[in-house]
Amino acid sequence: MKFTNRQFGELEFEDDHVVMFPVGLIGFERHRKFLIVDDVDSEPFRWLVSLEDGDLSFPLLDPAILLPGYAVEAVTGGGKTVFVVASLRPDVNGSTVNLRSPLVIDNATRTARQVILDDEGLPLQFPLVPSAAAAAGR
Amino acid sequence: MLILSRKIEEEIRLGENITVKVLAIHNGQVKIGIEAPRDVRVIRGELYAGIQQANVEASHADRGVAVRAAAGLVKPGEKK
Repeated sequence: MKFTNRQFGELEFEDDHVVMFPVGLIGFERHRKFLIVDDVDSEPFRWLVSLEDGDLSFPLLDPAILLPGYAVEAVTGGGKTVFVVASLRPDVNGSTVNLRSPLVIDNATRTARQVILDDEGLPLQFPLVPSAAAAAGR
Repeated sequence: MLILSRKIEEEIRLGENITVKVLAIHNGQVKIGIEAPRDVRVIRGELYAGIQQANVEASHADRGVAVRAAAGLVKPGEKK
């Protein structure tokens, strides 16, 4: 099948590539079907691309890149992939990732959910760049 | 909006299986107990709004900005 996204152009995919969010993302509850797109130029970012709205995509990061150990706490049981969602600003130092509510994908069923972790110390806006993180006291 | 008055220990039932109970009232703060099925998300309104805001900001991401941001990050194969 094919789907055209504004930023990534025509994407070709199979049914079993689709990641289903049965209750959507928070604030995007009506969007259920997504693809995870690898874009070599923006690696290590990966992209959650809506298959229902050609304008909608979210940059994702493997949290282990930023915080070793984070993913372990976020996942209960194996067979899951965890991503944090990034908010990118033209000034990279203003860019952040949301550590409080990562996406958890069940690898076997390819269903996913934006979970909300109980740890109130996890910021919604964690600086993407280490120097900015240091300045913020991390 | 439906507005109900409740006293301490009194409940409100929402649908078949959600119960909201007033547990305590102290200094302008109300302590509320909620029983709901696991698949019903229960979170503070301001946290929901914060996550929604973060998601909306994330959805505006431009690929070109990501390419520049990526230059400063460690690639998966390179860590440690």
